[in-house]
Amino acid sequence: MKNKPQSACETCAHFNADGLKKLGVKTGDFDFVVALAGNPNTGKSTVFNALTGLRQHTGNWPGKTVTRAEGAFEYNNEKFKLVDLPGTYSLLSTSEDEEVARDFILFGKPTVTVIVVDASRLERNLNLVLQILEITNNAVLCLNLIDEAERNNIKIDTRILAKDLGIPVVPTSARFQRGIPELIQTISELANGKIKCKPRKIKNIPKNIESSIQKLSKTIEKEYPNISNSRWIAFRLLEGDAQIIEALKTGKIASNEY
Amino acid sequence: MNTKNIDDIIALSEELRWEIGDDFHDNLSESIYADASRIVEDAVTKDNKKSKFRLDARIDKIVTSRIWGFPIMLFILGAVLWLTIIGANYPSSMLASLLLDNIHPILKDFGTNLGFPWWLNGFLFDGVYLAVAWVIAVMLPPMAIFFPLFTLFEDFGYLPRVAFNMDNLFKRSGAHGKQALTMSMGFGCNAAGVVATRIIDSPRERLIAIITNNFSLCNGRWPTQILLATIFIGAVVPESYSSLASLSAVIGIAILGIFFMFFFSWALSKTVLKGEVSTFNLELPPYRPPVFWKTIYTSLIDRTLIVLWRAIVFAAPAGAVIWLISNVFIGDQSVASWLIDSFDDFGFLLGLNGVILLAYIVAIPANEIVIPTILMLTVMVTGISGGVGDGVMFELDSVTATADILRAGGWTLLTAINVMLFSLLHNPCSTTIYTIYKETNSLKWTVVATLLPVFAGFIITFLVAQLWRIFI
Amino acid sequence: MNYNPITALLIFFGISLLLFFVFRPKKGIYSLLKNMYHQEDKMIIEDILKFLYHNQTSNKHITTNHLTSTLEFSNDIIVESLKTMLANELISLEKDSYKLTTAGSEYALQIIRAHRLWEKYLSEKTGFHKEEWHERAEKKEHELSQSEIDKLSNLLGHPKFDPHGDPIPTKKGKMVSSKGIPLSSLKEGDIGKIIHIEDKPDIIYKQILAENIYLYSTVRVIENNPKRIVFHSEGEQFILAPIVAGNITISLLEKDEIQEENIARLSSLKFEETAMIVGLSKECRGESRRRLLDLGFVKGAIVAIDLLNPLGDPKAYLIKGTSIALRKDQASKILINRN
Ligand SMILES: Nc1nc2c(ncn2[C@@H]2O[C@H](COP(=O)(O)OP(=O)(O)OP(=O)(O)O)[C@@H](O)[C@H]2O)c(=O)[nH]1
Ligand SMILES: [Mg+2]
Repeated sequence: MKNKPQSACETCAHFNADGLKKLGVKTGDFDFVVALAGNPNTGKSTVFNALTGLRQHTGNWPGKTVTRAEGAFEYNNEKFKLVDLPGTYSLLSTSEDEEVARDFILFGKPTVTVIVVDASRLERNLNLVLQILEITNNAVLCLNLIDEAERNNIKIDTRILAKDLGIPVVPTSARFQRGIPELIQTISELANGKIKCKPRKIKNIPKNIESSIQKLSKTIEKEYPNISNSRWIAFRLLEGDAQIIEALKTGKIASNEY
Repeated sequence: MNTKNIDDIIALSEELRWEIGDDFHDNLSESIYADASRIVEDAVTKDNKKSKFRLDARIDKIVTSRIWGFPIMLFILGAVLWLTIIGANYPSSMLASLLLDNIHPILKDFGTNLGFPWWLNGFLFDGVYLAVAWVIAVMLPPMAIFFPLFTLFEDFGYLPRVAFNMDNLFKRSGAHGKQALTMSMGFGCNAAGVVATRIIDSPRERLIAIITNNFSLCNGRWPTQILLATIFIGAVVPESYSSLASLSAVIGIAILGIFFMFFFSWALSKTVLKGEVSTFNLELPPYRPPVFWKTIYTSLIDRTLIVLWRAIVFAAPAGAVIWLISNVFIGDQSVASWLIDSFDDFGFLLGLNGVILLAYIVAIPANEIVIPTILMLTVMVTGISGGVGDGVMFELDSVTATADILRAGGWTLLTAINVMLFSLLHNPCSTTIYTIYKETNSLKWTVVATLLPVFAGFIITFLVAQLWRIFI
Repeated sequence: MNYNPITALLIFFGISLLLFFVFRPKKGIYSLLKNMYHQEDKMIIEDILKFLYHNQTSNKHITTNHLTSTLEFSNDIIVESLKTMLANELISLEKDSYKLTTAGSEYALQIIRAHRLWEKYLSEKTGFHKEEWHERAEKKEHELSQSEIDKLSNLLGHPKFDPHGDPIPTKKGKMVSSKGIPLSSLKEGDIGKIIHIEDKPDIIYKQILAENIYLYSTVRVIENNPKRIVFHSEGEQFILAPIVAGNITISLLEKDEIQEENIARLSSLKFEETAMIVGLSKECRGESRRRLLDLGFVKGAIVAIDLLNPLGDPKAYLIKGTSIALRKDQASKILINRN
């Protein structure tokens, strides 16, 4: 590690290092659920380990994690349950290998979704980010592997990025524990509603599709007035996703945050 | 909620889907990527200094090159196995002498002093304890060496390159390149390998990978191979070559396993698994230098815990069963010797014997205990005095003593070779079977995955035995 | 019985041989028995209906002789079935030739619908080779019930065309009509799009498949004479005999519709070349198409070869900053534009 982690928060009132307690696998009665989503091999499990103190397997190949893992940490006397998910390229497919992650992001009701991305491959990672932002209103972008990006001479303006996406952006280097305090701080503020997100919705959709989407999502909203992501449901219905049709029929869609 | 309205929504979506046509997904993906690249243009600046030296690319050129790609893979496999075999020897015999020679008598005395009846004493300390101790002594050292080494390569990023290099072979046998990854995981533990098949996104190839994972020689079977190769194969060549000969024999068996894996992948994809979807894509991540000590430490702790857990959960009951069948009598014959007698003819046909077949049945919960079970049963059948006594699992400290017992039990070079083959080709252990059931959710495939290797084992050992007897 | 290794081996091979003859695919006793059991009346009737339907347009007179010589059933059964069909008013007899009634023609359309939907299903959701689609659908069409067909259509998103480019009739029996001309009738310099590849007869279809000619690709004819037709498509050159080319249907393109001239397949990219992706071929279907899009193989992306393989295939492509390995058959369905 060349430059020592410099977190602005270490000096600010909110942050106290004692406020964090890694709780390992003790996930009993928690206040919030936090999901770790992202493309494969972006360091989700490493972030998970840094936050919970657990030893979830990591490995330098896409697909190391294939099952859901849970852990917990406590921050300022609030308990967070953290869920490590397998990597996914997209939520738009129906492939089996991505089912675990897709299911949790869609139906798991996380309070906050931490989207872990590879800073050197931002563009391809944004594919998933933009999809997740269609679904949830409470998310933070964890710009991981920032050390590699620096080594590759890639500079990212996190303020512009945060403004474009409408969610907070935290650069981290999970393997070297850089940026983890800020990440915890942001998760906590999001969970407590201190930060409000205005997530970006997908633009540039061809006109005929856009109008179909609008038509469909209006009908859905009529039936489920409290739903926040009718647009995403419309996307999935147009794709003929059997799972969503099922959820619509059973009312599972309305019964939770979805 | 009104069902009619919901049916209307679905009907509307179907109508709209028909209007939009096939291109919906294409268009949506393109829009999202267009958005993404606009955002990146805004927020990311890249300093493109051309002179940048790409170490990654250099390494990749070599490890996937026409000349070096395969030799490097073979060399790494050989080196890891060699380190495991050589390195495990010493701690293994230390643990054995500590747990078996020193602690075991103390425990027995302890039981006698407390006034345990003979059967309880025997059941607990000769059955349960010895099984656990044996598994720890024999399994822990090789695992504690193999896994950290494996993890180092994994963290470096070498595994996806192996998958990349070997994909063509997998493709020709109708399987998925990522099966190379799950196969490598299987060298450690088949159950872990079976879970890892989830990375394979096409159902057909995933099933193939699950069913054939057992052909990767797992850690529970390495010690058997090593022991037999040392005793029987090492003895055929001059003294100075014996360790080289036994190492090559073990590697040979592992490679034979890979060959069978390809063969059965091919056979399955051409017959029962015909028609399942198949696709392939593989992301090659950049190399990342592993955090050396941390990796070693973590994977050591993990493995130790897993081995201990398995020893207690699986080996202990097996030890109890062995003790029971050797000490429960029907008429004047113990259950064990009755079973051995009834298996003997079939065993002979396969170039094995009744003892070995019984040992493989007892060892279904954990492959680790095959050899000690064989030794114990052999002592019982032949009546020679080799160790502690009937129904007691034990490890003889010196390889020569083990060899003497096996020879007294009628073993020849053919028996040894066929046991090595059968150890490669037989049913998966119970943990793996259970994992396969959980992963496939299908009784049918679990049965196929369980029986396929056993039948392969029967056929191969049968053929080897007949040809051996005809020609040698 | 005395043990002898040679006898043991002989017995073993004897048993293996026996099992082989019983269970071998297609010609094995087991599958022959299974097939015999399947020859039902319904299947024959439906095959006759289909045969009449396909010959309706050509105004041929179909007599009992025609039917008995083309359909692979015994003559008695066919004659028997024809009687039943006449009684049920599915067909009518004019002099000695059979004609479909309205009811018969509707029935025939439903079978065609089942057949084409099933082919679509096989292409989208399974991994069976193209060669097998037709034969499998030929069996399945008789087994699907009306509600199963509807469900299937729904599952597939009510497709309009089957994977060969044939229109799929709707539930009410409507069909999109597509006009095209056989590839063999194109002149030199003509440009068109493949809209249909005929899957019968088998021998010709297999030849087309072996060439890797893809549906909906643009073709430009270079040479056309009685011996051979040479044309370019997706950057590759193909040479076919006229009789083979006659089984490929083309829709001619007007000059202003032609956009894709410099198109090639990603599989033809050379090391150290870069290119831009212009889209995925229609032959890339179902889950694998989605996955490729998710991985970033979308229109406009820049692609280059990152790594070659010691065995030649797959190759790793550099796309959007990451190296992704694809097999040749997939790469050939990604279309690029070299610049
Ligand atoms: N240099 C560097 N390496 C990192 C960082 N975070 C993670 N890694 C490494 O990246 C690799 C992947 O990390 P994982 O945590 O396994 O990634 P993941 O997202 O859980 O991957 P999947 O489970 O396969 O989806 C490992 O080799 C980590 O050691 C980081 O901030 N910097
Ligand atoms: Mg992970």
